[in-house]
Amino acid sequence: MTMLALIRDTFREALARKIFWGLFALSTLMILFFLFLLRIDIVQGATATISLFGMDEARTVDAARLIRRVYGAIATFLYTWGMLLAVFASSGLVPSFLEPGRVELLLSKPVTRGQILLGRYLGNLLVVSLNICYLVAGVWLVLGAKTGIWAPNFLYSIATIIFLFAVLLTVIFFIGVLFESAALAVMVTVALMMMSPILAQNRVAEKLLSSQWSRDVWNGLYHVLPKAYDMGRMTLDLVYERRAADLGPVWSSAAFGLVLFALSFLIFLRRDY
Amino acid sequence: MDNGINSYMTSDHAIETEDLTKVFRNRWTGREIRAVDRVSLQIQRGTTFGLLGPNGAGKTTFIKMLLSATHPSSGAARIFGGDARLASSRKPVGYLPENHRFPTYFTGAGMLDFYGALSGMGAAERRRRSTELLERLGLKEWGTVRIGKYSKGMLQRLGLAQAMMHKPALLVLDEPTDGVDPVGRLEIREVLRELERQGVTIFLNSHLLVEVETFCREVAILQHGKVALQGAVRDLTAAPGYQVTAAGVPDELRRQLRASAPERVRDGFVQFQFTSREEANRAVDLLRCHGCEIESLAPTTSTLEEVFVRTIERKR
Repeated sequence: MTMLALIRDTFREALARKIFWGLFALSTLMILFFLFLLRIDIVQGATATISLFGMDEARTVDAARLIRRVYGAIATFLYTWGMLLAVFASSGLVPSFLEPGRVELLLSKPVTRGQILLGRYLGNLLVVSLNICYLVAGVWLVLGAKTGIWAPNFLYSIATIIFLFAVLLTVIFFIGVLFESAALAVMVTVALMMMSPILAQNRVAEKLLSSQWSRDVWNGLYHVLPKAYDMGRMTLDLVYERRAADLGPVWSSAAFGLVLFALSFLIFLRRDY
Repeated sequence: MDNGINSYMTSDHAIETEDLTKVFRNRWTGREIRAVDRVSLQIQRGTTFGLLGPNGAGKTTFIKMLLSATHPSSGAARIFGGDARLASSRKPVGYLPENHRFPTYFTGAGMLDFYGALSGMGAAERRRRSTELLERLGLKEWGTVRIGKYSKGMLQRLGLAQAMMHKPALLVLDEPTDGVDPVGRLEIREVLRELERQGVTIFLNSHLLVEVETFCREVAILQHGKVALQGAVRDLTAAPGYQVTAAGVPDELRRQLRASAPERVRDGFVQFQFTSREEANRAVDLLRCHGCEIESLAPTTSTLEEVFVRTIERKR
């Protein structure tokens, strides 16, 4: 019951601070964008024309393949867009509950610090997950209705986006608990996201870097930090109905999230308020 | 009303601390500040206890250690016999923090519901209890209004309702009447009196010495993190002495009486301060023999404020 109350409280705060509605509005905007600006006509079952902003690019392609490609491009876009929105939206929800005058009252209740942190985390995850479900499912419905081609694999991107967000949320919590700063939490999380595609080029780095030491550092960072880029590629594989080559990024990202959440918990447990 | 007191019968003391100490260390300079220094207090269950002290004496740190918001550097704290660090030990505690910052997205009823849920209350019980408390604290019409619109006094009353929500056996109130108007203060005091009659232990931290003097049975004065004085309010304020006020006292008699009692003149009357009843009676006899008029003979007491100031100055 206490956990449910904490989750509900986070949800209520997200609603009151317009975070939920902001995400909802931006998701709706995105769905409307696909509804009105992207036009896909299927001609004679096998050819298609895709028109974006009125500029036609006529090609004769297999319609289902084309739609899958469109879905893939959109999934990549949503993956990045959705993640950035979610990170920005969530950053303030940690320092807010640690405000002096509020946290003492929470701590005076018969709940453990672990429950408080976990309740906050799950509440935050729920707020974002609902919006991501709405965004991805909404875009999928629009595309499906407009093309007549339904690609259920597109919906896998819900799982990958939520999974990666769950990992990045641990970064937000870690920075939030450690420094009680929303801005810093966003900076660090976005930096990790941006570093991911660079670090993922470890084969290129192997050739470019002169010393073994620097190659080891590069590889170490790649293996330790969350793999937003690899998870993005995995999302594409799922949308294209390809087998994901390696599940390593999932496990290593999950391990990173677990370790960081455990560290956040330890800091929160030991801190004086 | 069941305050759950029977569930916590492991100790006669609502609060017990043993050499409770908190040292804040500056990570860079290594400088130490002893905010609370080996404080040992035993607060009987069912009493009303006031914690006093100048700013920075360590009162709030002491309370935060009791409620596990701050970790002690050494020593121990127990609530109804249970280790204060355990979440379960905080079940019988209601707390109103100083400078609270209740989330403004709550309505009054919503806030009570949330904190009630954290205290382990069921939904139906929370609904019933929040309605009852909002009415009791004069916020009945405000239950559905966002608390961002509440005045300071209303927030204090709502904070008190929050602390009382789960019928705690121990109420820890940090400046409960801060920002409340005199009528509101009286109402709050009445509520607290009612709780006291029901056997709830009330631990009060207030700067308003008159409030503590009228409400609390026991007090402790903290200074520089240490207990400077502790005892029953009645004992601390009862300075053993008698004051004799008379008119028309001849100079020779005044000189004679001044030898055993300090004198002061006020509104044409001479007041003598005696330390014992016998001395005061002897002085009355002498004054009557000299044809002086006795205006009054009364035992003297100190106010808690006087006790407080004396204690702080002595320890400075």
